[in-house]
Amino acid sequence: MKNVKAEVMGPEPPCWRCQAVKKTVEKVAEKLRAEGINVEIARANIASKEVVRKYGVLFSPALAINDAVKTTRRIPTEEEVEKLIRAAE
Amino acid sequence: MRCLKLSEAVRKIRTFLLLVFVFLVIGLLVYSRLMAYSLAPTLKPADFSKYAWYEIPFHYLWDYFSHGWICLLFAFVAAGLVYEFMPKQIINKYMGSSKVTGYAIGAGLAPFFTVCSCTMVPLFTGILYTGAGIGPAITFLLMAPAANILTILITGEFISWEIAGVRIVVSLATAVLAGVIISKTPWGRTIEKEHQISQSPVIVHRTIEVVKPPLDERLISALKFGGYLAKQILPYFLVGLVIVGYVTAYTPPGIVEGYLTGITGVLIASVIGGPLYTPTLVEVVLGRSLLQLGMAKAALLTWLMGQPYDIPNMIAISRIVRWKVVLTYAIIAWASSIIFGLTYGLITGSL
Repeated sequence: MKNVKAEVMGPEPPCWRCQAVKKTVEKVAEKLRAEGINVEIARANIASKEVVRKYGVLFSPALAINDAVKTTRRIPTEEEVEKLIRAAE
Repeated sequence: MRCLKLSEAVRKIRTFLLLVFVFLVIGLLVYSRLMAYSLAPTLKPADFSKYAWYEIPFHYLWDYFSHGWICLLFAFVAAGLVYEFMPKQIINKYMGSSKVTGYAIGAGLAPFFTVCSCTMVPLFTGILYTGAGIGPAITFLLMAPAANILTILITGEFISWEIAGVRIVVSLATAVLAGVIISKTPWGRTIEKEHQISQSPVIVHRTIEVVKPPLDERLISALKFGGYLAKQILPYFLVGLVIVGYVTAYTPPGIVEGYLTGITGVLIASVIGGPLYTPTLVEVVLGRSLLQLGMAKAALLTWLMGQPYDIPNMIAISRIVRWKVVLTYAIIAWASSIIFGLTYGLITGSL
């Protein structure tokens, strides 16, 4: 059993593109659950002090996997997200 | 191995096709310029009288899209490309520097960012948190709706490049002024203190290991962003056009000329500008119609300046800075829309 944390960062209220990223990650998570990879998905407010201090990303939507930012300002494809989650340790 | 080569070839072809598309769009605009083909709609308010009420929206929409599609297409493609290919390192480099550079960055960045709160909010907080402070952040916020590439292109093509240019200059002045004033107010300072991060200013890139995609994927994501903007904006734009069509057709002649000219015109335009919230780009279309119906150019400028709002954006921002700051800059924006409208009217004799 492997646990992976995925954070989708965007403004609050969320914009359409950030929701699209979250949906993509959710789909991939659903798929990977069968293989015993547990993806914990969280939404992070890109404007909050904690998130700025931790990541300092200037472009949303951004996706962080296990506390490292992997993509910013675009909607990654499902394959890409899958690859990123598999690569995460 | 062969499989790899094939995908390389596919990638090259895709890159090529995308580039062809981009240059085609640019070419279309240049061509229409060279041939002096008007991209702005051609119907005059008087033309509407010959149509029945249910025919008006169709004629009006057709008039706009048959002439304006090149311009709209170019605007959305350009907005996507500019956003995708703008060098980000520059922003990271200068973001946390001194106050003056902070204002320059705040104002200079704005044209590259379109109305999406997904681009505005993170940069706003970035400027606020990483040292430049609340002044430059407010400057950025006020500058962006007036001077983003989409608005400039549409204003320039549909109304006039003179108005578009003046709008940029006066928005810049207003934005810097509001930024400076707010950074001096006690409530502005409170927000700034609350949000200052004590450690070294630029924390960007500590945990970032972003994968850099190849050119074809960047082009696709640029076009996708343009398409996304279009999807967000065009439905409101269409509804707005239908309404503007009726306004144009049924406003009795003389009313606009009577009220929206002179000093009263500027004052009225400033008051209806803000609260009469029009979605992005509709303000340009409505402004154009009012101008045809006899509104003075000075009042038009005031009207356009009174529209610096994008609602989702404002909700996100006001949660950060709270209502006192929002109110302060609303008042400054309102006052300066009057002052600049009157000044422009006096200078050009178009009150």
